[in-house]
Amino acid sequence: MDNNLLQQLNDALANTIDAVRASLVQIVNGRGAGAGTIWHADGLIVTNAHVVRGRHGLNVVLPDGRRLPADVIAYDEALDLAALSVPASGLPTIELGDSRQLKPGQWVMAVGHPWGVLGAVTSGVVIGVGAQLPEVGQVQPGREWLALDLHMRPGHSGGPVVDADGRLVGINTMITGPDVGFAIPVHTVKGFLKAALGTQRIAV
Amino acid sequence: MSEILRNLSDAMAEAVQAAGSSIVRVEARRRMPASGIVWSADGLIITAHHVVENDENIRVSLPDGSRARAALVGRDPNSDVAVLRAETGGLTVPTWADADAVRVGHLALAVGRPGDQLQTTLGVISALSHSPNDHQYFAQTDVVMYPGFSGGPLVSVTGAIIGLNTSGLMRGISLAVQTPTLRYVADSLLQHGRMRRGYLGVGVQPVKLPGALAEQLGQKTGVLVMSVEPDSPAERGGLFLGDTIVAVDGERVETGEDLVSSLGGGRIGQTVAVRIIRGGQTQDVQVAVGERS
Repeated sequence: MDNNLLQQLNDALANTIDAVRASLVQIVNGRGAGAGTIWHADGLIVTNAHVVRGRHGLNVVLPDGRRLPADVIAYDEALDLAALSVPASGLPTIELGDSRQLKPGQWVMAVGHPWGVLGAVTSGVVIGVGAQLPEVGQVQPGREWLALDLHMRPGHSGGPVVDADGRLVGINTMITGPDVGFAIPVHTVKGFLKAALGTQRIAV
Repeated sequence: MSEILRNLSDAMAEAVQAAGSSIVRVEARRRMPASGIVWSADGLIITAHHVVENDENIRVSLPDGSRARAALVGRDPNSDVAVLRAETGGLTVPTWADADAVRVGHLALAVGRPGDQLQTTLGVISALSHSPNDHQYFAQTDVVMYPGFSGGPLVSVTGAIIGLNTSGLMRGISLAVQTPTLRYVADSLLQHGRMRRGYLGVGVQPVKLPGALAEQLGQKTGVLVMSVEPDSPAERGGLFLGDTIVAVDGERVETGEDLVSSLGGGRIGQTVAVRIIRGGQTQDVQVAVGERS
């Protein structure tokens, strides 16, 4: 039997994940570790607001193992987004994808640290995109989400979701059950950073 | 970056879009809407029986965003299939996958339209259960069925429709009713407004056969007649309490389900040979199959 196609697929999955993990960080908040995503090479990190809520003395552990103190420079409870700054430069970043163009059935992968398992991957397909998702419609009407058919767990929060090309399309944020993950679309994150920090800071 | 993953990703999204032009939203219950599949261009829609709670005031939302009133043509709780007739036309008929082309291990996408937009989940075909004698063709999958996915299609990687998804037949298991069953049920519903099923008028329960008889007949069990309804086809044909039915027209009957499946709509009005064990001997009695009301 010719397994060449499946081997190619496996290699592609592993290569994509290697690249994504390079921009996944740990956010150590005293009690446990959440995930974060390197947004800009000069030390801008995006995560969920609930990962850093009420925490002082935050540290970020970079993929290369460096542990750096972090400042919260922007925070939005309603969007569940926060931006952190760490004293570093030349960090690896992920190319940004277009979360508005995602279609049901497209491949996605999410990484994070579920239950402290560092850099764990879950993959699946896009269920749907937008504000009309019955599962979250009642939570925050009008707000856009990526609904994902993959196995997100506590500890994935703040980590990146990427498309088949390894481009960032969202930030993991919540689970509503064992089989559906929700992520904040990357265009929502861009809007949050633009409003909080101004334009030149987020140019990539 | 390798293109294989992008190609796979795009191929799956294309399969969803291709099938999506034949997927409608069905509003026929108080809770959230469910999904349905275009059965004919002139407005027939096939969906899951259990999502059609109202017999009236049914509406469907079409892929182009328009809405139409629909009437219930008929329903079959056994296969969880219902057929609706929507007051519309010019619909896009999907490509139906051949039941024999589907194999365990194949990728499959459950697609629904509980809102305005398509939603999908991915999985594999876990098991197939094909029983040509009683037109039962089911595919079990590991796709996650979200609320409102029932009545929508299980879609192959080419965009063909493998079957109609239902979470209503077995709790916790995603089943798709495959094309041959859908055709059989839809034809009957369109012709008669319901599924016609044969009627004998007996109550039965499975029993072990004595060793010698089991060896002679090549089956370990039959069904014991526990009751015979007065003036029923069974009574007229001479079936008695205490008889053990082992075959109908040469088809083995080892369980109650076997007996039911031997009495499909096609048998109504026909006289069948019911092989029984009475007094330790096998014999055939002729019974004219009635119709269950």
